[in-house]
Amino acid sequence: MDLEDDTTILTTLKSFNSFISRPEHPQRLSEHSAGSGILQSQYKRSMELLEAAERVHSKNRYLQLDQEKKQMELSHKRARFELERAASDSARDLEHEVDRNQELLGQIKKLEERAEEVNKKLTEQKEANDALQKNLEGLNKTLEERDDKLGTANQTISSLKDEIRELRQKIQNQDSKMSAQTLENQELQEKLDLQQRKYQEVSQLCQSLQAAQSSCSDHIIKIKELERRLVFQEQDFAIVKTVKSEVARVPDLEKELKRLRDDNAYLRESRENCSLLKEEVEGLRKKLERMEKTKEELINMELEKERLTEKLHAWENLGQSTGLNIRKPEDLSREVIQIQQREIALKEQNYTLNSRVRSVERSQSELRAELTQQHSKTLEEQKKREAQDALVRRLQKRVLLLTKERDGMRAILESYDSELAPTEYSPQLSKRLREAEDILQKTQSHNAEMEAQLTKAQEETGTLKLQLQTAELELESLKKQQASATDSNSLLTKEEVTILRQKIEDLERERQRLEEQNNILEMRLERHNLQGDYDPVKTRVLHLKMNPTAIAKQERQQEVEALRQEVTRLRDLVRSLQSGGAVGHSQDDTHNPSFSLSLAPSKEVLDLRKQMESSELRNQRLKEVFQRKIQEFRTVCYVLTGYQIDITTENQYRLTSVYAEHMDDSLLFKKGSNGSMQLMETEFSKTLGEMVALHLHHQKSIPAFLSAVTLDLFSRQTTV
Amino acid sequence: MTSTLKGITLKGSAELVAEFFSFGINSILYQRGIYPPETFTRVTHYDLSLLLTTDPKLKSYLTNVVSQLKEWLFECTVQKLVLVITCLETNEVLERWQFDIECDKSAKESSAPREKSIKTIQHEIRSVIRQITATVTFLPLLETPCAFDLLVYTDKDLVVPDKWEESGPQTIDQPEEVRLHSFTTSIHKVNSMVAYKKTESA
Repeated sequence: MDLEDDTTILTTLKSFNSFISRPEHPQRLSEHSAGSGILQSQYKRSMELLEAAERVHSKNRYLQLDQEKKQMELSHKRARFELERAASDSARDLEHEVDRNQELLGQIKKLEERAEEVNKKLTEQKEANDALQKNLEGLNKTLEERDDKLGTANQTISSLKDEIRELRQKIQNQDSKMSAQTLENQELQEKLDLQQRKYQEVSQLCQSLQAAQSSCSDHIIKIKELERRLVFQEQDFAIVKTVKSEVARVPDLEKELKRLRDDNAYLRESRENCSLLKEEVEGLRKKLERMEKTKEELINMELEKERLTEKLHAWENLGQSTGLNIRKPEDLSREVIQIQQREIALKEQNYTLNSRVRSVERSQSELRAELTQQHSKTLEEQKKREAQDALVRRLQKRVLLLTKERDGMRAILESYDSELAPTEYSPQLSKRLREAEDILQKTQSHNAEMEAQLTKAQEETGTLKLQLQTAELELESLKKQQASATDSNSLLTKEEVTILRQKIEDLERERQRLEEQNNILEMRLERHNLQGDYDPVKTRVLHLKMNPTAIAKQERQQEVEALRQEVTRLRDLVRSLQSGGAVGHSQDDTHNPSFSLSLAPSKEVLDLRKQMESSELRNQRLKEVFQRKIQEFRTVCYVLTGYQIDITTENQYRLTSVYAEHMDDSLLFKKGSNGSMQLMETEFSKTLGEMVALHLHHQKSIPAFLSAVTLDLFSRQTTV
Repeated sequence: MTSTLKGITLKGSAELVAEFFSFGINSILYQRGIYPPETFTRVTHYDLSLLLTTDPKLKSYLTNVVSQLKEWLFECTVQKLVLVITCLETNEVLERWQFDIECDKSAKESSAPREKSIKTIQHEIRSVIRQITATVTFLPLLETPCAFDLLVYTDKDLVVPDKWEESGPQTIDQPEEVRLHSFTTSIHKVNSMVAYKKTESA
């Protein structure tokens, strides 16, 4: 009602303004046409009239308004009553509605519960349904399998039937063939009969031929024989020729023969002479040899003679050289005898001297033995003396110790005596004294024992030393004996014996060493023999060239090479796949035409690629379709509403009218956070302030505003 | 063939020894697993159940070697027969089966057969083959793929036949040696032994 009031007020105001403006308009006109004084008085009058009219009008108006106001108040009250009633009614209705709402809510809950139950049942039913469907599917599958089996069985049956048919046909064919063959057989038999008859004829001919051939061969043989005879005759002819030529030579040969016989006789004679001469020569040679021998003997004899003469001279000069009175051998023998006698005498002397020497030696040895005994005795005496001296010393030491002990004991006793008087520890002291005395006695006895042991040990060492010295003396005496005894020739033999003994020992040691070495070497040789060593001089190791080890090594090498090649090939393939996989399917093929084998396993990759391409195509098509549709829709909107709506930024829409005077005349609308559209200030919108105020602020209708703008622009376009 | 005769001739002895080598080599190849066991078939010989290979290449190789060996045994020029097992990956010798042959050369000159019963020879050969089978208990397992080779130690002055060539002795570094039984046909005496490479754990 207010709005209506406002609009009525506005309309009345507008009419009033228009009324005012109209008279002003003609007044402005009259001002221009008439003079100014008349106009002014008229104007004043009119103005006064107008003012009075206005006042009257306003009063009227005021009265009217009062009335209206009262009416309005009445109506207002009525309206309020009604409103209150309506409010109470509406409150009751609201309560009713609320109750109903609650009832309905309760019902809704129950219905929801039922719906849930029903849903559960539905799900259960669905599950049962699914299970049943699965069963069904399973059964269907089994059915299908059975159908397949049936189909296959049927197929096999049909195939077997076909086979049976084929076999029957084959049998028939073979029967026909058989019949044909029997016919052929009969024909062949007839042919055979013909052939046999021909054969008989031919055999007869053959026989005749053979007879002819045999006669032929006889003739040939005869011819050969004749030819041979001819050959022999020719040979005889040739022989006869040669014989003739030889016969021609006979007289020459006879002459030669005579000559040769004469030569022969002459040579025989000469041979006899030759033999005689040879005999003479031999005789002369023998003589010559004998003569030479005699010459040699002569020479030897002369040499001997000279030697003997020299000897004789020497023997003759002996006498002069020796200074004896020798002229004849008898003198020499006499001298010799004398010398021998002298020698005998000397030998006797020698023997006597030797015996004397031996006796002297014996006495010497005896003396030596006595000497050693004396030495030993002296040593013993010395030992005894030393022992005695040691004893004496010990005794002296003992005496000293004892005196010291005595002094010490005396001192102790004096001290004890001095102490005894003031104190009275005598029994204890005496006890202690006795104990000390006992200890002392014990130590003394111990000491005595030790000394006794020491003396015993010293005596023993003395005796041992004595024995050693006696042994040494004996050894020295023996050595001296040996030394004296080796004046004779037995010295050499004993030395030889020792040398030989040493040699024997050395040789024995070497033999043992060599035996050990031999054993070790034999063991080593045995070991090497076991291990397979051999003597390259005597043995040789052979094996077949194509032996399994060589073959296995070759195969292994080939395997290794093949594996290497495969590895390189696979590496290249991997590299190519890594590089070509990003690009596409077709390029892979162009890059690696030889790897078609390796792309076979990547069927999944191909399928996925195809799917991807198809989906991309679909996307593209959809985009195009959407674009087209959007474009269509926008054009239709533009055409129908008259505005081109563009989205400039987020939530901002720019509207450009069809009938816009300038290109950049546009309205900007912004979508607020609560969803309502708000008009933004643009230059164009500033020009539309009235419409903005009217439609947007008053009427709050954007479509009305937009349509008003369109109408305004349209009117401008068409009028201007 | 020689079982029907009374004594042993040089030729018969050579045949017996060559036969023993052929069976012995087959047994070793089966026991050590050089060839898969399914390629071997059972035969009865020397009153024992022995295994022979059916692989044709291997069979032909063995017949070549054994026939040549028979000739050399007849001429008494062979001193040893060695079966060498090498590892294919590292090319080192893992096992060495050595058979020393001592030939009585006087049997060549005199052609009178010697008195020794076939039964005793077969008994001795049986014990050797049983020992070869028993060596499986202590010989180390051959885990890597292996191949074998047959070497023949002959006299130096022998003419090397076609298809045969000289080779080294192919000995093992620091081996363990085990002597097996020997047998003799009264003309040829065969001593057997096996040498193997010690395993690192030992």
